[in-house]
Amino acid sequence: MKVKVRFFAVLRDRAGCAESIVETQAGSARRFVDELIESKQLGLPSPLIRIAVNGAFVEDQHELHDGDLVVLIPPVAGG
Amino acid sequence: MFRLTTSPIQSHALDAENAGGFVSFEGKVRNHADGRKVLVLEYDAYPELAISEGNSLIAEAIEKFGLVGVTVIHRTGLLALGETAVLIQVAAAHRREAFAGCEWIIDQLKFRVPIWKKETYATGESEWVGISDGRSRPTQDAGFFERQMRLPEVGPEGQAKLQNARVLLVGVGGLGSASLPYLVGAGIGTLGLVDGDSIEPSNLHRQVIYKFDESERLKVDRAATFAKQLRPGVKVETFPYRVDQSNVDSLVAAFDWIVDGTDSLGLKFLLNAACRRQGKPLVTASVHRVEGHLLTILPDGPCLNCLFPEVPPEKCVGSCADDGILGVVPGLFGILQATEVLKGIL
Repeated sequence: MKVKVRFFAVLRDRAGCAESIVETQAGSARRFVDELIESKQLGLPSPLIRIAVNGAFVEDQHELHDGDLVVLIPPVAGG
Repeated sequence: MFRLTTSPIQSHALDAENAGGFVSFEGKVRNHADGRKVLVLEYDAYPELAISEGNSLIAEAIEKFGLVGVTVIHRTGLLALGETAVLIQVAAAHRREAFAGCEWIIDQLKFRVPIWKKETYATGESEWVGISDGRSRPTQDAGFFERQMRLPEVGPEGQAKLQNARVLLVGVGGLGSASLPYLVGAGIGTLGLVDGDSIEPSNLHRQVIYKFDESERLKVDRAATFAKQLRPGVKVETFPYRVDQSNVDSLVAAFDWIVDGTDSLGLKFLLNAACRRQGKPLVTASVHRVEGHLLTILPDGPCLNCLFPEVPPEKCVGSCADDGILGVVPGLFGILQATEVLKGIL
């Protein structure tokens, strides 16, 4: 399947792009993020990254589907 | 109502006839951070999720503190020194709820709402704030470790090992809140704090890093603040939830040493199994009334299952809430856990 990934803040700097279409067979959202950390050399430990799919936070086990929008949320520091 | 804006934020008093207390907080761009001169700040947001998460935060604050009106506006884009980055206005029937609600909102906002801050320094460098892998961060703690580094067992090499270590405290209750100050003081580079609980008055006789007026605040938040106040150079990562089957492996994977300060047998066995799978050292401790026990489980040594082959049923050994606990007992065992970690790293 193909999913759209969007990066913010430090992850955007490290990935070198804000958005990317990625082909994956990952069974869960967390597994997919682990793949990305490896392939894009994101340099953050996986548990620090929260995952949003189609505009809402999801659990690690969340199943991905073709065409999903996956957003990697590094630690936030608003305010 | 939660709003993002790219224009300067104007403050207007909230009007509510049923409100006797009104608190307005503005977070501003400050000219220094960690001793470095800041020139400019940039805020980046994921707008769709920031707005929905911001609004659910406000709904929770209204419910939790009985507020009658809340407005939160967060600026994005480039901000100059002195500009307002965030405005939080809270109205409540009485001042106490208004102050507490306002402070709770800014604390929660800082780790829940997807907004990121990039500081640009006078030196020309820039850095995303609060985001780092924790390793090889230059220490700004000159002099801090002078007495400790005199020990031949530590020295500059030992101090560097401590700085590069990542230690996870699972639970910042009686045990975790006792080991935390000494791990921070000793110079552990990165501490992870996992706990979904908020502070209750009945915790304070043994969890003495928390304060009387911090009731209902998240423990991981206040513990992180305590750590930063003791040694600003320490890196703290907070995980404001309970460890469980779904998150234990990713938490354990991201740290070098795991310190079990949970109050549940099930969680102790869960941590034991995860540490065993991943070859991570675990220091577990439990307290009961006026006694306790401690076990350091190294990857190549015996583990909790060698001691107790069957997972005992939950509650079979009582709890602090049911049986009572003398405050110094978790204090002693927490400090012993910190000692075991330092011994292991050095």
